[in-house]
Amino acid sequence: MFAVEMNNVSVYIGDRQILKEVTLRTPYNTVFVIMGPSGSGKTTLLRVINRLIDLVEGARVEGFVKVLNFDALHSDPYELRKYIGMVFQVPNPFPHLTIYENVAVAAKINGVAKSKRELDEVVKWALEKAMLWDEVKDRLYDHPHKLSGGQRQRLCLARALAMKPRLLLLDEPTANIDPVNARKLEEAIVSLKDEVTVVMVTHSPHQAARVADYVAVLYDGRVVEQGPAQQLFLRPSTEIAQKLLRGEI
Amino acid sequence: MYSWRKLREKLFTCLIIALSVLAIAPVLHIILTVFVNGFAVIAKAGTSFFTDLPPTPLSKDVGGIAPSIAGTLLMTAISLPIAVTLGLFAAILTAEFPSNPLSLAVDAIAKPLASIPTIAVSMIVYTLVVVPMKSFSALAGAVALAVIALPYTYTYFSTALRSVPSVYREAAFAIAMSRWGAVVRVLIPVARKALTTGVLMTVARVMGETAALLFTAGRFRTGVSFSPTAPADAIPLLIFDYILSPYAVWHQVAWGATALLLLAYLMVFLATKLIVKEVRL
Ligand SMILES: Nc1ncnc2c1ncn2[C@@H]1O[C@H](COP(=O)(O)OP(=O)(O)OP(=O)(O)O)[C@@H](O)[C@H]1O
Ligand SMILES: [Mg+2]
Repeated sequence: MFAVEMNNVSVYIGDRQILKEVTLRTPYNTVFVIMGPSGSGKTTLLRVINRLIDLVEGARVEGFVKVLNFDALHSDPYELRKYIGMVFQVPNPFPHLTIYENVAVAAKINGVAKSKRELDEVVKWALEKAMLWDEVKDRLYDHPHKLSGGQRQRLCLARALAMKPRLLLLDEPTANIDPVNARKLEEAIVSLKDEVTVVMVTHSPHQAARVADYVAVLYDGRVVEQGPAQQLFLRPSTEIAQKLLRGEI
Repeated sequence: MYSWRKLREKLFTCLIIALSVLAIAPVLHIILTVFVNGFAVIAKAGTSFFTDLPPTPLSKDVGGIAPSIAGTLLMTAISLPIAVTLGLFAAILTAEFPSNPLSLAVDAIAKPLASIPTIAVSMIVYTLVVVPMKSFSALAGAVALAVIALPYTYTYFSTALRSVPSVYREAAFAIAMSRWGAVVRVLIPVARKALTTGVLMTVARVMGETAALLFTAGRFRTGVSFSPTAPADAIPLLIFDYILSPYAVWHQVAWGATALLLLAYLMVFLATKLIVKEVRL
């Protein structure tokens, strides 16, 4: 049983093929890392999983995608998304909501908390899990524009966690974060494995080595290599993977 | 070489300043003239300018413009919610379903509608509302105003909604918000300042509209009425009539009314400026 299973998935935007016959499997409760050069289709791959690809004008998906127990391409996307949290490449907390509300809204929408007390608890739990609680506990009612970039990204992680998702999609969550905060986030991600399955995009081979259980390497819309992390890091079999791990592409 | 460049820069700055002054001087002149003349009249009349009926042509007293103020308030109060509601729904439709045939139709109609001469709108509403009701009315005036305001609210609102970065919409969907939820809880609140600005600009537009009311509102100046089905007056209508009249006292009233209208305008613009400056997003 896999949390995410893709068979021959192709994505077209207009006439361009962005993903090419992608096949991959993500076991439950693991951190599955997707690596690949810029423009190789990593973000697009994540968007297929939670059907945000539907928002892209002119996008078309072919193939078979199973996410949790959903036949993802033929399910109600709004129902599917209830079980999937996502952190985007660029932090996007809701600017009109406070720090508290940003987290609470995700819990409320998905019926995670019924009473105000439950809500408070979920918000605290999510912020703690995202390693942000200590920094914001005294200013929960500030707006997110007062946070640093790294704090905003962790706020977005807390928002995603507050849904109590079973699958977490992370798109370069540490791209705009200093190494200290990045490490915190990595710790948070690893500690989440008991509760959720994580699919994470990263550019950093070091980060991948620290958090990944499985790795898939994407190049020009194709999965060129995938497997258990240790195996892939020790003996990358394709030239592309070797270059990627050396940081050459 | 160096000082020549500096000099040239200075000259250029002076030129820009001179041209800007030249460009805004007429506007400032108009505003000043209106305020100087108008507030002299209002000061003379005192508070009765807001509570009294207009003077008879040969009266010594300036009297007031209470019927016109009431009519402008009433017709604005009726037309604004119509234009705002319809404009908002149309804007949501075209922002959310840009390639829907209905959206394309709305978008295609909005521009020409904005450029219909307002006097033509007045004629049309005359035949559609005034004739069947057998009377001029505030309602007819408000309908004409709403028709004129609608393309404005629509354009302001759809620009506001479309300017919301798509990342917030994506975030909304990613936490499993419904389409409608994303509109109500994210799209509209994120755009709220631009939306409010649109409402205020529309208020300014509606308050100053004259031609639309010529054949619809009726010029009821002999009492203060807040009845939608009764004839009503409006401040611009009064100004239009009185400034063209041969009577000195009516000219005075027109100056006072113009100053009042202009003041209301400036306040609306001030409000939009304040809104834009208020909490950053
Ligand atoms: N909305 C869109 N319309 C057209 N093309 C798109 C769109 N989104 C992505 N693409 C194209 O799809 C390809 C893959 O994009 P994607 O964002 O998935 O790459 P990525 O691997 O996430 O890159 P990066 O590391 O820079 O984030 C790119 O060539 C991009 O130009
Ligand atoms: Mg990307």
